[in-house]
Amino acid sequence: MDFDLPADLEEYRKQVREFSLREFTEETAMMHDIKEKYPDELRKKALESGIIDFSNPWKTMLGIEEMCRVDPGLGISATVPYFGAEILMLHGSDYLREKYLSKVATGKMMMGLGVTEPGGGSDVAGLKTSAKKSGNHYILNGSKMFITNGGIADFFVTLVRTAEPDVPSKRHRGLSVLVVERNFKGFSSNKLTGKLGVRATNTAELIFDNVEIPQENLVGEEGKGFYYVMEFFNISRVFVAAQSVGIAQGALDMVTEYLSSQEKKGVPVSEELKFKLSEMATRTEASRLLMYKAASYLFNYKPNPTITSMAKGYASETAAFCAETAMEVTGMTGLSTKLERFFRDSKIMEIWEGTSEVEKIVISRMMMRGDSSE
Amino acid sequence: MNEQLQMMMDNVKQFCEQAIKDQAITFEREGIPESMFQAFRDQGFIGANLPSSMGGAELDRQGYDAILFRLAEYSPSAAFYVYMNNSIILPLLSGAGMNDLAGEVMKGTVRIGLASSNLLEGTGDHDPFLSTAVFPSEHMIKVENGKVLLVRGKFQHADRKSLGLRGLGVGMNSFEAEESKELGRKESLEKLMLGSSWEQSAIFLGLSKGALDKAIEYTKVRKTFNYPLKDYSPVAFRLSELMSDLEFMTHFLFSEEGEQKGLMLKARSSDFSRKATKHALQYHGGYGYLEDFGVEKFYRDSVALSSLMFRPEGDKKALAESIYGSKSGYL
Ligand SMILES: Cc1cc2nc3c(=O)[nH]c(=O)nc-3n(C[C@H](O)[C@H](O)[C@H](O)COP(=O)(O)OP(=O)(O)OC[C@H]3O[C@@H](n4cnc5c(N)ncnc54)[C@H](O)[C@@H]3O)c2cc1C
Repeated sequence: MDFDLPADLEEYRKQVREFSLREFTEETAMMHDIKEKYPDELRKKALESGIIDFSNPWKTMLGIEEMCRVDPGLGISATVPYFGAEILMLHGSDYLREKYLSKVATGKMMMGLGVTEPGGGSDVAGLKTSAKKSGNHYILNGSKMFITNGGIADFFVTLVRTAEPDVPSKRHRGLSVLVVERNFKGFSSNKLTGKLGVRATNTAELIFDNVEIPQENLVGEEGKGFYYVMEFFNISRVFVAAQSVGIAQGALDMVTEYLSSQEKKGVPVSEELKFKLSEMATRTEASRLLMYKAASYLFNYKPNPTITSMAKGYASETAAFCAETAMEVTGMTGLSTKLERFFRDSKIMEIWEGTSEVEKIVISRMMMRGDSSE
Repeated sequence: MNEQLQMMMDNVKQFCEQAIKDQAITFEREGIPESMFQAFRDQGFIGANLPSSMGGAELDRQGYDAILFRLAEYSPSAAFYVYMNNSIILPLLSGAGMNDLAGEVMKGTVRIGLASSNLLEGTGDHDPFLSTAVFPSEHMIKVENGKVLLVRGKFQHADRKSLGLRGLGVGMNSFEAEESKELGRKESLEKLMLGSSWEQSAIFLGLSKGALDKAIEYTKVRKTFNYPLKDYSPVAFRLSELMSDLEFMTHFLFSEEGEQKGLMLKARSSDFSRKATKHALQYHGGYGYLEDFGVEKFYRDSVALSSLMFRPEGDKKALAESIYGSKSGYL
């Protein structure tokens, strides 16, 4: 078993790190955090510099990790304009891929994914937004909550109910995915402000008031939406693991530097603090290995939802653990430096794209069904 | 809890329900308003623990802690304001014989900020530095070269909000000093910090209660997969465990005495507050991540206060030494 990444990926990782260190300055990160402003200029720069590269999913994953290691808010912002793209890639018609996806890939458009509703996020099948067929259109009514890029994206890959389930207990049936454009009549969004962290990202509520959606904006087959979204989560959760590993590593970098500099200054560093550093380092490495394993299954076209949920769940808890431990170890220094931003940013990892509890539900269900992690 | 203490808890709760509850979000966004500082004085919170010779109410330790506990349940910033005046600033002024200024602070006509980064571990010699900046404030207490100084001058408030205690304008504020006076040695301040373990614990426990109460209420009404969250065993068991721990520690707070026990509670309650507030936020899902729901502030404040008040090395060493009765835990 070889744990080293191929040379081209190592080289790519180095390039992203250099880009992030150069572009994600403390001043930029702080300004976007304070003002809750999306860094559009960084999105463009990242794309132009070639470090956003969809040709190789390993690169996407490593790129996310390295960017979040320097600044989670900016790192996520630079990589999130494509959020939901895999659904179109895998199931969109040629028309949809040409009309929307190609423009996202070249940076001419931004997209978002609308699954969560005010009434629930974990319980995806419980969604209320409905699309009723009327001639060659769907009429969409309802709302989506906490949608990343909600106030700035050009279109949203949106999960809606197009039919009542044939069996009442099978609520996941009758759901479909539609592409909803921001400029469709009846669409509106409300920016959500006052987030604890990742404040550079844009989050909004989407409201659909009799929005007419052309039939050709249906993604894949009617009634298969739930499966498409679950399949997507199996992909995106690996990338959330990458965000988390990046945050954990960033916090670890700062604590290592802090303790080393204390020692250099002649301030004794207790074993207690060194043990905390060891635990942070071990958990970060374990998360990274789980992420690699999940990625390896996924990128070789044999996704393993159990391992994916383990990777996302464990890495996200590790991100929060490392950021919190870093605050504890560095005390006042952490409070007055960028570490506090890492702390605020880290908590979202345990919430979005499947909360920690949801990941545990998936893991235990798969284990008890006999779908083990091997 | 005796009858008198219970009455105190009820009275402060009533005040908080009427005066703070609906404004707590505004405190976080815009800072605690001038009128509220007056209200703290009118309620007798400022000076509550101080001797009558200083104009104080001479409340016993538990009575004072009841005030801090309740305030922290609604606004940790408000609790910290009362604590920093009563337990740090006023004793320092009085110790330095500056009774006139202390009187002004008691009346609310003068407010003094704390330059936190220089107070404790001595690691943060930043400029600008992390400080409370209670508006409008022309004075600040800071530590320099082993001395505690009262500095008069002008604050330049940071536009960056800090992690915690936003109601007090804590941030990387700058201060242009015009004159300064010595209030004592750094050790006198450390002694006050160390000597107020009970008060600090009261704040940690109060804010934990504020967060957990919100989580309990939320998990009664929020449904996923057709059931309220409270019906799921991990949610119900975890929150019940946290409530039990809170109950034990609250009982300890109001029934035990002594420096060692105070240190024990401070170590437990600061850890606990981080755990409790994190779970409370988590069970709110995405809503927990938004300021509007008033739960994320407890999570931020628990960590910020741990950094401000709990010195992981110093306090744990002091506790270890009191248990071993000799020098320990220093390697
Ligand atoms: C900043 C931000 C950005 C986001 N971006 C997007 C986006 O782009 N697109 C999108 O669709 N959504 C997005 N979300 C929504 C996010 O995915 C949801 O918040 C998340 O899935 C949880 O859903 P909820 O908030 O409704 O919590 P709920 O589902 O109401 O859950 C509340 C709590 O209960 C727990 N819980 C629920 N059911 C159980 C159970 N059976 N057993 C034990 N515990 C349980 C949960 O784990 C959680 O802790 C975003 C959220 C945030 C905060």
